[in-house]
This record gives sequence, structure tokens and C-alpha cells, in this order.
Amino acid sequence: MASNISLPEDRVAWFVKGNALGIVSTYSSSGTTRTDRKRWQAVDHAVSDGLLVHYWADPKKVIAISEVPDIDNVFHLALVDYIKMCLYMDRAGTTDGEASAVALQLSQMHRAKFDQAVRHFGSMRREKTGGVRAILPYNFQ
Amino acid sequence: MAVHSLTAKQIMSRIRQVFPDAPESYILSLLNDALVEAGLYSTKTMSSKIDVTADKMYYDLSDSAKDADNNTLEMNKIYRVDFMDDDGDYIKIPRLLDGEVLMFDITSESAIEQPD
Repeated sequence: MASNISLPEDRVAWFVKGNALGIVSTYSSSGTTRTDRKRWQAVDHAVSDGLLVHYWADPKKVIAISEVPDIDNVFHLALVDYIKMCLYMDRAGTTDGEASAVALQLSQMHRAKFDQAVRHFGSMRREKTGGVRAILPYNFQ
Repeated sequence: MAVHSLTAKQIMSRIRQVFPDAPESYILSLLNDALVEAGLYSTKTMSSKIDVTADKMYYDLSDSAKDADNNTLEMNKIYRVDFMDDDGDYIKIPRLLDGEVLMFDITSESAIEQPD
């Protein structure tokens, strides 16, 4: 079932608040005229599949060793780097002297390789409120 | 020719070249840590349809949130939202930068985290 709103780009907006997606609209199905201070409200009618949300997703968890990690294959070597980074860090903490220093250096090297491989392809913003955005100017009327 | 990718077993064998005694369960745990870390960046993009409920302002984005087909969203970061118009087409809608709408919808109160 389609929505009642003919121009969503003008009458519907979204925002993120904590762990929730906020959807607000200026459209009133009953034709009620809203005052400016109550102009933005929740959409007042149900729409099946009404929202199409595009997002960066969490890869699925690997449970068995026969599985291929749920991430593009260009990142698979970066996963190896991440694991080595952690294991070298463990080694640095459990050995003494030069062995510890070498392990620490190797850990940092693998960290740098992982960061370069993964961040190179994506934004460095980490939180849900980051990312590409279009600006809806404030209505000064 | 098929795209080359690594299974968890192949990743493990590469690790064991340097750390032959590393336990399998520990490597798998670190592998999943790496996937969580990589998921913070634009490594996997998805699109999901969500039902719009009348008078509902807030829609769940938590790790257990589901789409209209009851699939888990596994969402990290939204970069675009489309809304269905009266022709059934999806149109990109703008983002409110601060999300500070003046009127709070009373039916959405249950979607807000409250202390217990």
C-alpha cells in the first residue's frame, strides 16, 4: 500500500536519536492545518514497506572455521592483520626485554596495516549520527 | 575465475605460521572482534524496508531490530532514508541535523530508553 504523501522530499524528514530512527512529517491525512510549533509530527498513517533505509551493516559472526567471513574479500587480509596485532600484543605482555619490544613493534605495524586497509575504504566517523547528510534548512517563517 | 577469498580456516593457518600454539577458539574470537571493528566503516552496505506505523515517531535501530520481513537489520550507520510516495516509489527524504523536533509524539514514548 502506497502512502498518502505525494512529495515526501518536502514533507518527511529523518533523524537519529540514540538507538532509534526518528521519522517526522508535516503531512496530515485529515487535512488539519497544523500550527508551526506542532508542524513536525509522526507520520499519521501506516505504510507497508514505507521506509527504505540504506546503511552500513555489521558483518555476521563467524562460528565455524569452514565459513568465509561476511565481508568483502578485499578486507580478508586485514582480518589477518587484526588477529596478529592482538596476538603480538599478548606476546608483548607476556615476554620481557627485547622480545617484548619487538612484539610490540610488530603489533603496531599490523594495527597500521589494518587501519590503512579498512579506513581507506570508509569514513573515519564511527557513530550512527555521522555519515553523508542532506541539510533541511530551518523554516524562518 | 572465481574471486579469491579466505575461509576462517585459511585465516587461522596464516596466523599459525607465526603463532602455532594459538587456540582455535581464541583466534575465532579475535576474528569476530575484527569483523565488529571493520563493520564500523563502510565495508558492508545494506538496504532494508521497514513498515511505517501510524503515529509512531521512533523506529528501533538496536542490534536486535528487524525489518518488514523479520530479518535482523544488523545496522551500524544510516546514510540515506527513502520514503514511499503516493505512487509507491521511494523518494529520498532529508535529514534533520539535530533531531530536536518541538513536539514529542506521545505514542513513541515506549521506544525511548527508560531506567529500570
